[in-house]
Amino acid sequence: MRLCILSLSVMVFGLSSPMIAAEPVDFTRSIQPLLSEHCYSCHGPDEKTRKADLRLDTQDGLRSVVVAGQPAKSELITRIKTTEASELMPPQKVNKPLNAQQIQLLQTWVEQGAQWNQHWSFVPPKKIASLPAGSNPIDHFIRERLKSEGLKPNPDAERARWLRRVTFDLTGLPPTPKDVSAFLSDKSDKAYETVVDRLLASPRFGEHMARFWLDYARYGDTHGLHLDNYREIWPFRDWVIRSFNQNKRFDQFLLEQLAGDLIPNATVDQKLGTGFLRCGITTSEGGSIEEECYVRNVVDIVDTVGTVMLGLTTGCARCHDHKYDPISQKDYYSLFAYFNSIEGSALDGNAARHAPILSVPSPEQEQKQAELNARLTAVNEKIAKAITQFELKDETTAASTAKSTKKTLVWIDDALPASGKALSDAGFNTKWQFVAETVHKPHAGKSSVQLIAQGLKQVVLTEVTPGLRVGEGDTLFAHVWIDPKNPPKEIMLQWYTTGWLHRAYWGENRIDWGKDRTAERRPKGSLPEAGKWVKLEVPTALVGIAPGSVINGLAFTQFDGTVYWDSAGIETSAPQGDRRFETLADWSQASAADTSVPKAIRDIIKLNADKRTDAQKKQLREHFIQYGYTVSRNVFEPLHQELTTITGALKKLEGEIPSSYIFKERASPRPAFILKRGEYDQRGPTVSRATPTALSPANTTAIKDRLALAQWLIDPNHPLTTRVAVNRFWQQVFGTGLVKTADDFGTQGERPSHPQLLDWLAVDFREKGWDVKDFMKSLVLSATYRQSSKLTPELLAKDPNNRLLARGPRYRLDAEMVRDQALFASGLLVETFGGPSVKPPQPAGLWEAVGYTSSNTARFLADREAEKIHRRSLYTFWKRTSPPPQMTALDAPSREACTVRRERTNTPLQALLLMNETQFMEAARNIAMRAMKEQPDQPIAHLFLLVLSRPATEREIEILTKAHGQYFEIYSNDPKSAQQLIANADPKIDAAQLAAMTMVANTILNLDEALTK
Amino acid sequence: MSFQSEILMHQSRRAFLRASALGVGSAALTAMTPQSSAAAIEGLPHFAPKAKRVIFILLNGGPSQLDLFDYKPKLNEFYDKELPASIRMGQRLTTMTSGQARFPVAPSKFKFKQHGPSGMWISELLPNIAKVAGELAFVRTLNTEAINHDPAVTYLCSGNQIPGKPSLGSWLSYGLGTMNKDLPDFVVMTPSWTGRKEAQAIYNRLWSAGFLPSKHQGVALRSQGDPVLFLSNPDGVSAQTRRKMLDSLGELNQQYFKEMADPETQTRIAQYEMAFRMQTSVPELVDLSKEDKRTKDLYGPEVTKPGTFSASCLLARRLVERDVRFVQIVHRGWDQHGNIAGDLPNQCRDVDQACHALITDLKQRGLLKDTLVVWTGEFGRTVYSQGGLSKTNYGRDHHPRCWTMWMAGGGIKPGIVHGETDDFSYNIVKDPVHLHELNATILHCMGIDNNRFKVKFQGLDQRLTGVEDHAPVKQLLI
Repeated sequence: MRLCILSLSVMVFGLSSPMIAAEPVDFTRSIQPLLSEHCYSCHGPDEKTRKADLRLDTQDGLRSVVVAGQPAKSELITRIKTTEASELMPPQKVNKPLNAQQIQLLQTWVEQGAQWNQHWSFVPPKKIASLPAGSNPIDHFIRERLKSEGLKPNPDAERARWLRRVTFDLTGLPPTPKDVSAFLSDKSDKAYETVVDRLLASPRFGEHMARFWLDYARYGDTHGLHLDNYREIWPFRDWVIRSFNQNKRFDQFLLEQLAGDLIPNATVDQKLGTGFLRCGITTSEGGSIEEECYVRNVVDIVDTVGTVMLGLTTGCARCHDHKYDPISQKDYYSLFAYFNSIEGSALDGNAARHAPILSVPSPEQEQKQAELNARLTAVNEKIAKAITQFELKDETTAASTAKSTKKTLVWIDDALPASGKALSDAGFNTKWQFVAETVHKPHAGKSSVQLIAQGLKQVVLTEVTPGLRVGEGDTLFAHVWIDPKNPPKEIMLQWYTTGWLHRAYWGENRIDWGKDRTAERRPKGSLPEAGKWVKLEVPTALVGIAPGSVINGLAFTQFDGTVYWDSAGIETSAPQGDRRFETLADWSQASAADTSVPKAIRDIIKLNADKRTDAQKKQLREHFIQYGYTVSRNVFEPLHQELTTITGALKKLEGEIPSSYIFKERASPRPAFILKRGEYDQRGPTVSRATPTALSPANTTAIKDRLALAQWLIDPNHPLTTRVAVNRFWQQVFGTGLVKTADDFGTQGERPSHPQLLDWLAVDFREKGWDVKDFMKSLVLSATYRQSSKLTPELLAKDPNNRLLARGPRYRLDAEMVRDQALFASGLLVETFGGPSVKPPQPAGLWEAVGYTSSNTARFLADREAEKIHRRSLYTFWKRTSPPPQMTALDAPSREACTVRRERTNTPLQALLLMNETQFMEAARNIAMRAMKEQPDQPIAHLFLLVLSRPATEREIEILTKAHGQYFEIYSNDPKSAQQLIANADPKIDAAQLAAMTMVANTILNLDEALTK
Repeated sequence: MSFQSEILMHQSRRAFLRASALGVGSAALTAMTPQSSAAAIEGLPHFAPKAKRVIFILLNGGPSQLDLFDYKPKLNEFYDKELPASIRMGQRLTTMTSGQARFPVAPSKFKFKQHGPSGMWISELLPNIAKVAGELAFVRTLNTEAINHDPAVTYLCSGNQIPGKPSLGSWLSYGLGTMNKDLPDFVVMTPSWTGRKEAQAIYNRLWSAGFLPSKHQGVALRSQGDPVLFLSNPDGVSAQTRRKMLDSLGELNQQYFKEMADPETQTRIAQYEMAFRMQTSVPELVDLSKEDKRTKDLYGPEVTKPGTFSASCLLARRLVERDVRFVQIVHRGWDQHGNIAGDLPNQCRDVDQACHALITDLKQRGLLKDTLVVWTGEFGRTVYSQGGLSKTNYGRDHHPRCWTMWMAGGGIKPGIVHGETDDFSYNIVKDPVHLHELNATILHCMGIDNNRFKVKFQGLDQRLTGVEDHAPVKQLLI
């Protein structure tokens, strides 16, 4: 248990050296936290709970109960010291008593003059110390504190250990043996810097830095709530990686995430950044109330921005004024007002692409799209030109008032239509089996189609001519009888128009064809009742078949089970057969009731000829020439065919082009209200956009939109933004921030361990142009970072958590680093950049155990290709209701909410994972092979070097060699086990040798040193 | 005796001695030799607990209180009549029924009888649970604010509708520490179900540790593959080989410890040894073959089928017998928007005999007195029908304003009924119990004052039972 949760930890830390009476009491460090913890809940910023109209969080309030220099005359002191129970503060029922030391502290503070200052983090940082010439600021401040604590810094770590540490901290991966020897033999003054420059230039740097940011941004590949379906937002992940690799100015990085869409003439890349605001969890649970979800979504954004950008727990002010920090409920909803005017629905529709989205084509896709669009224009021009070549006499046609009627057309009953073609092959497509009444009683006619499937099977009919013409509001249908003894998991109907683009399914979402939850794959609910004939009906509009389309094919598809299919067809108001005529008059008469003709044209037909405008006459004539004129058929049919091909290809391409979630402002902003107790339906007064009063210049309402908000945030005078940012970079490298509570810089958060250093770094970062690479470089080149991490009992007792940094940072690697290290050292790691997330193997049944049965992430299907399963862990598919177990076992968060600090636990479940998991074993086997191949004389020493990046000691070699001998004996006597362990390995290698070496590798990968940086 | 068990007999002692010889910090020692309640938070328990362990049975989806427990004979007069506006009082509805033109009352089609000393009315669908009514305390007035599944079940399990807070089991594991050295403190099972196939999702967050250290999160005990993730050695690695590997690993780690002197290294060594012990203790736990026939008969024929609710209940007993602190069983499929006649009896059949068996078995073994059993859904269901209504079939929408749950065992008064609802089981007329109060009651049984049990996170004192104070329900306590 290492999480420090004792509420007084702040105090204990602040007082780690014994109090000396004469020592001045620091208000910020010692008094304010104490008042905050024990007094603010009744005498703080929250008006509603304030007692006796007394505030102790303001200077005026304190003055009313404190007389500087005179404790006996200060009510504050008399009330905390009284023995009278009814007078005592804090009152007993509040259950936050002050101890003797704290009372003494308050008294000393009053004696010394009751000096007051504003909460430290709300005052802009300044470089307050003048540094001795030539000194490194980090080392200067750290050593000053060490000196005052009577501690000495550790000497430098051995060079190889520093190299491993820095390589992990800048790239998330260990160094190679080559890196090690290059560094060890580089005797120049610049050796350390050379390494750091090399690492910062590597694209692995961006991947590693992005991984932390994705925790802050709560990035995931699913919606996170209820169905928890797939969400397409990985281009945002790639944007984060690219930003770090390009060393984008950090202020710009923040600005683009808050308001990239509002930058004048914003580029695609700038807009992509706003994915940050959209990473939150969303739902489309049946029964959800839109307004409630909308409030929840915006609250999540405000809380995330509050934590990540401001380092404040703004969320506390959602229901009431903040009890500890000067953020009122009004401030909260004024911030809320910046983010509440997003376009689109709050409910995600369970769709991968929940608008507003932005399509992000690759250069190749962009080019292809341009080509197709050019071809499209050309064909349209040809059509327009062709129309002018046909001259019609200006036929005056009478108005027609014919009404459309619906007819039922059965396509498939006891046989297939004569002109169609039945597909059948050795794969999914099976033969149509019409079975007679004696086998199964049909729904109509003499027979029905029997389809028995194990897994995916279907019967397919294509190329029917003429096809079915589709009118407006038509309904497609088929009948099914499901065998109650052998029900399918899923049944599906598919139709062919210009392609197999129209599907509807019942039951589980097993058949992975078409884009889910579009016209290409529409869910129609659970399976129909078994044991009786049920009519399945699908409106043509639902599956994207527009009036005027022609259906040429149909398929009955099922996953498992026995199903009888019968009487399939269409209820249509479109007349069938040839629809071309010799004259406009004849065609008009026949088309008035033909709902496959566009409604606009039919409306013209219905008008008396003399009522038609010239434009309408022209429209009617041109439509007729294109679609209804016998004479022009040979000209237009090929053109229309070409048009269909091009639009089909365009549509297909659009489906393939990735898209990402972005923020997009509504034309007019939504009003925002103070919500009583944070409840969406308890609206109080309206509020306008404004930044929190306590943090802002006088005219806060001048900050009109998100762009202005972002600019306010990165303003040189902002007290929080740079402090919060540099503190997290520090945390990344040293394990704990200078402010331990990286998510809370408010009065309840911990004070910085080195306030002057934090401020110096914050100012310097800004002055040097928010340059992240430069900043990271200064951290890892500091002597503080270079120290050895060796502990002594004295040091352990004095500073167990290494806050004073008398030693180098040493702690367990994060989940991603642990896995990536194994893949990297074994040579398995595939380093390709970006793209859709991948699914390395995980134990069966994890998604199934929790998933909504019809979710499209209800069943886990691992990828098979090495180029997917061996990629860096930040590309692993993140299902938020069941995140990858290899990651969560090692403390990765679920990404359901913003997390800026990961825990680092040490559990038996981690041991089981690292010893037994498939990919860790695969890595062990491959490192063993690699070692045996690369250094056949000293494989064990080489193996050790590959993982730990340092030469093994004699003793280590001795222990491992002895163990290897024992394994070799076991596997020589048990060839079957040896074969099992080395599964699929190179047959040229001796199995017992490899199995034994695999166990050695497994051991090394599990060493404390291997799991630690 | 297997090779592995043989090793184990000597194992902890050896590890202990080795560690002592090196004089490592007390944290490492604690991890190696759990005492009765290792790593509890200072000051806990606040008072003498009545219960040491909890079995929490979550019926996910919202079982219909109207068809199981909350008997409303007067409803027959209202069949297919509009739910009176005086009852509905304009309360919000889910958008699944808010568009309905009518809200016709659907009386339960099932028969009810009175059982136990309290004369509790129980539906014919739960004949076996009815037999142990004398052991149970029924609450007919549990209520929540959440109206949809995801927020409601998150609320029930973590005291907050918004994801990210620790679950009840994590709070207990964190606060009270562990009582056993070979198994996790908090174990979760997600058995199969036979009612509504399209079941509501559940989420790992329902047993997550939220902002508490992740070692307090629930460990899924699985019926497929390894019972605990990654428990088995890879193919080709025997227990003997693993032992040798751990010996050399330990030796190398000790070398490293000598150099760096970081106590975390010792903790890691201890955790690897614990992992090795789990490789024996977990298979032994899930092996039901040694259970006698009488016990198996009690749980019914499904008990031998891995992954059933029945098997989960027997495992729950075996877990609490081994002093696992918190066992959660999440049974899905209770979301009867339609087809109550078809699906609800199946759901009940899944759980009825096993629940009876669990209570009986715990009692016979003397475990019930200090084990708390909790049985509840995340909300109730409406008196009006969703979709078509006939005398023989109907559906019901979500109803957060009241539902029925029961508790039994450690610290709970047996054979009582608490709370009353109106004739429509729509509003509460007497003794409402909010789910925060349910959690307060559970904590109370475990010796914890819910109002004092807090952890600072993001500047706030976080509590399972929320910002405002809540009291346990005194009437339910012994």
